[in-house]
Amino acid sequence: MFGRLEDFEREARAMIHRPAPGVLRTTLARFVLVVLMGFPAVAPAVAQDATSRERAREIIDRVDRLLRGESSRGRVTMEIATEHWSRSVEMEVWSLGTEYSLVRVLAPPREAGTATLKADQEVWNYLPRVDRSIKVPPSLMMGSWMGSHFTNDDLVKESRIVDDYDFDITFEGARDGVPVWEFLLTPKPEAPVVWGRIEEQVRQRDLMPTWVRYYDEDGDLVRTLTFSDYREMGGRLVPARSLVVPADKPGEETRLIYHELVFGVDLDAGFFSLRNLRARR
Amino acid sequence: MGRDAVWWRVAWRNLWRNRGRTLITASGLAFGYLAAVLIVGLTDGMSAELAENGTRLLVGHVQVHADGYLPERSMYRTLGDAAGVDVQALLRRVDAHPGVVAAAPRVYGGGLVSSGEQTKAALLLGVDPQRELRVSNLVSNVVDGRLPDEGAYEVLLGTELARQLQVEVGDELVLVAPAADGSMGNDLYTLVGIVRTGSPGLDANYALLSFSRLQQLMALTPERIHEVVLTMEDPWAAPTLASALSSELEPAFGSVSVEPWTELRPELFEYLTLADAVNFVIVIVIFGMAVFGVANTMLIGTFERRQEFAVVRALGTTPSGVGRTVVYEGIILGTLALIAGALITTPLFVWWHNSPPDLTGLTSGFSLGGSQWRPILRVEYSLDAPIISAVALLLTAIFAAVYPAWKATRVPPADALAGR
Repeated sequence: MFGRLEDFEREARAMIHRPAPGVLRTTLARFVLVVLMGFPAVAPAVAQDATSRERAREIIDRVDRLLRGESSRGRVTMEIATEHWSRSVEMEVWSLGTEYSLVRVLAPPREAGTATLKADQEVWNYLPRVDRSIKVPPSLMMGSWMGSHFTNDDLVKESRIVDDYDFDITFEGARDGVPVWEFLLTPKPEAPVVWGRIEEQVRQRDLMPTWVRYYDEDGDLVRTLTFSDYREMGGRLVPARSLVVPADKPGEETRLIYHELVFGVDLDAGFFSLRNLRARR
Repeated sequence: MGRDAVWWRVAWRNLWRNRGRTLITASGLAFGYLAAVLIVGLTDGMSAELAENGTRLLVGHVQVHADGYLPERSMYRTLGDAAGVDVQALLRRVDAHPGVVAAAPRVYGGGLVSSGEQTKAALLLGVDPQRELRVSNLVSNVVDGRLPDEGAYEVLLGTELARQLQVEVGDELVLVAPAADGSMGNDLYTLVGIVRTGSPGLDANYALLSFSRLQQLMALTPERIHEVVLTMEDPWAAPTLASALSSELEPAFGSVSVEPWTELRPELFEYLTLADAVNFVIVIVIFGMAVFGVANTMLIGTFERRQEFAVVRALGTTPSGVGRTVVYEGIILGTLALIAGALITTPLFVWWHNSPPDLTGLTSGFSLGGSQWRPILRVEYSLDAPIISAVALLLTAIFAAVYPAWKATRVPPADALAGR
């Protein structure tokens, strides 16, 4: 209610900042790591005598090293279902390491050309209808990205996950006959993160992630990211489908489906510019 | 009454036997009256200003929403739900409701306002500018430029938001808002005016445009609005009007929720109710003190006249006749004091009402329940204050006379005459 003015301000802020139903705050690092690139298809030789924390760290570090400087291009369909509408968006995605990415909408036609650039911790949106590029202000970083269950913040949090969290192996063994590791990611005391904890399951055989669960500071599940349809793309095993389900909005979800993905694309940082954001292809 | 008239005359004459004492007692009561009326007038003035500011800026006196719109304010919960309503028909219906002064439609959205390098998150408010002028002060203080025209791609910004965006009237703005179909609504607009509401929160956060343009931006059909806000002749009748309006609108416009400002701003309403109760306390305290002063004077008066009472008793007057004169003295004294009080209060009150002392230089006022109070000591005309104070004054005079009158009836004629 717009009762008192303080309420008004708070509500105004809430209305503006309220993210899409069921906030998703995966980091782009995660996004790229597990959705775009997949884990390397080589199980790391992890020293068996190390502590759980050291071993967990080593596994993640290997993945992280492999991603640095990696470039990719892909075509993705994003299917969003909410209480009020469902839509499907075709996109082309370029990325370089975890620092840069550019997403351009191909369909539906009404929105074709709409693009998002992530570079230097900033997110810019290009709006073809008005032919303007708009920088997403800090206050809106928790807002929905393209109407999906991702937030703008998800795009910029980068590979900070390695720096911001402590990793522990909480389970090692077979789940439904498949050997897996389960990790518990706990934020370091001073880390500027939004999650209370993250749980992740990874298959030991090929290091493919199967699910990631995000919990808030009260320990309540906020959203679940599930992977499926593991297949070779761009010469690499990747989960072609991922599904995000917010815990507080039954029936709502965002699904990402990769149709095409190539690695080692000839891109440099200069590609991720405002000029390129605007260019129609 | 014939015999009674004698006692009135006796009472009147008795009053003027000690003219000085009577005048002093009457002035005491008259000043008590002045104090009571002015203090109540001042708190009424403060209450009126708080109520006015608390409702006039944005809230209005009554708001009509779809059931369940508050407090979440989901953009999908429009009046008449997804199908919407015939907005003009709804407004006509509300306008025609008895007691309604003016009504206006509103559409709310959250989004981005961008100009050049600058982008800010803002509350987007879609209004009918001409109607809005009649229900709130939201757009009444345009400091630069003009109001947007209905249906034009024109935007009005709060002063602080305009400053942060570094824009001037005539500049081009991009508005971006999440639309009801899941897309990202965006369009180009011209900044036609800058408005100062006086509320820092509003001035820094809101962008206002014609509601049909905001509907278009948010992919809402023209039938879909979030709110109808209305003002009334008598704000205190808002709860009654709200329930009457609710049952009138319900059949034609779906499940509506009609909230009076007393519900929308409960803390303000509670404060005002409390302030009203405090008025009574003030009147009671003032005249409660006066009662003892007046009673004391009259008691002395009756003791002085012990022998007279004894004489009239000895001549055959009943004790109640004696008691009545004393009570009549009190009534006459009260009436005189009331006339004097009204004579000194009225001009002072009118003068104070018209040129209230402005203490802006001394203090900056305060905000209560989200409503601003400027440090201007306005007194508010009301019927209550003078009438309640008058009744209190007369009751004081009568009560003050009761004990002396009772004492007078108890005077034993023989003893008193014998000087015992």
